Amino acid sequence: MLQVKAGNMDTMGLLFERYHRPLFGFLFHMTSQREASEDMLQTVFYRMLKYRHTFTGDGEFRSWMYHLARNVLVDYSKQNKRSAHQYDLADVAEKIGGGPAADERFQKEQELDTLHKAMAKLSPENREVLVLSRFQELKYEEIARVLNTTEGAIKVRVHRAMNELKKIYLTLENGNATYKL
Amino acid sequence: MATQPINCEQANERITDWLNNQLPETDRVALEAHLKACPACETEANSVRQLWQLMGNVPTPEPGETARVRFQAMLDTYKDTVTTEQESVVDNLLAKLRQLWAPKYAFRLAYSLVLLIIGVATGYWFQRSNTPALAYQQQIDTLSTQVQEMRQMMMLSLLENPAASERLRAVSYTEEINQVDDKVVDALLTTLNNDANVNVRLVTLEALAKLADNPTVREGLVQSITRQESPLVQSALADVMVKLQEKRSIKPLRQLLRDDKLNHLVKGKIEQSIRELS
Repeated sequence: MLQVKAGNMDTMGLLFERYHRPLFGFLFHMTSQREASEDMLQTVFYRMLKYRHTFTGDGEFRSWMYHLARNVLVDYSKQNKRSAHQYDLADVAEKIGGGPAADERFQKEQELDTLHKAMAKLSPENREVLVLSRFQELKYEEIARVLNTTEGAIKVRVHRAMNELKKIYLTLENGNATYKL
Repeated sequence: MATQPINCEQANERITDWLNNQLPETDRVALEAHLKACPACETEANSVRQLWQLMGNVPTPEPGETARVRFQAMLDTYKDTVTTEQESVVDNLLAKLRQLWAPKYAFRLAYSLVLLIIGVATGYWFQRSNTPALAYQQQIDTLSTQVQEMRQMMMLSLLENPAASERLRAVSYTEEINQVDDKVVDALLTTLNNDANVNVRLVTLEALAKLADNPTVREGLVQSITRQESPLVQSALADVMVKLQEKRSIKPLRQLLRDDKLNHLVKGKIEQSIRELS
């Protein structure tokens, strides 16, 4: 990134190759909107170019990238306050397709669907730490840097988010069970 | 190193970190020991682990292939704008220089064009208007001469008008006649000597006094002294003579003094005038 800052724009392509998948994952898990995430992906990379002078070099590039991505997300949610989280089930189904038995597949689909619903019900702050720690596999220390806070605070937040998620998940699962009956 | 036993609450707090692989070794050992001993915590840990593993199964969709294309396009455009920005610094400078020069040049061109047009127009206008202007001047001259002549004639005829007021008007016209010729002077002198009305004679005297540069007028005035009978005209004449310092008038004035009919007031006046003249 420092090379990009120095004016070597071609290095940006390298960064894109390395980071666009996890970044897209983050955006997608945060919004559950495929198209919007693709748009935001472009926006984040555009801002990397535009604000390359703000990248100081201390701290990892990844932290800076997530930092920019969060800002893009904030802008996005401001623009789309009304649009609720609607998960593109088609994407999931596509991914799971070709699994073991149909029953098992259906059950897994159910579980994943429930999990997604539960994730969507989390507050954005809690969802964020879970996405960053579980999906993006960032260390607490790194998350703390992205969110501009301490490692301890992140630890507590992840713990709370996990408990909340479990609660919501179980409620939804019970609801499903009742529905099935 | 012996591990500190932990209670259920502490265990609960660490489950997530444990799943997350972010638990220090000693804590991990302690937690695992507690879970083995405490079935409630173990159940709790298992449910959380299930969820955690389920989360691990969540597919992360790949961004479409278009993302890369869009990114390349964006990068290229951005590079272009950056380079154009750099180029545009030079361009701006050149443009500014050009701007500095161009308007002035245009201004000069326009200025000289305007001047040229004005010059041509004035030349053309002069050429066209010169001759008529001269002709007008000549016409006006002729006309004013004619007017003068008309006035003169009118004055001469008016002087013979029976009404005193008309004759007064005739005399006043002489002030408007620029060049008084002998005819007019003659007529005025005749009026001065012969007019029946005193007022007309006095006004005539005033008019003649103004024409005193004319030797004929002077002479006429001097000769007129003995002819006047009105005390008013006599004293007025004496005043005019003093004013003109006409020495030739002393003789006729003295002659006037010898006249018995002379008003005594006028007598004193004339005596004074003679003293002032001599």
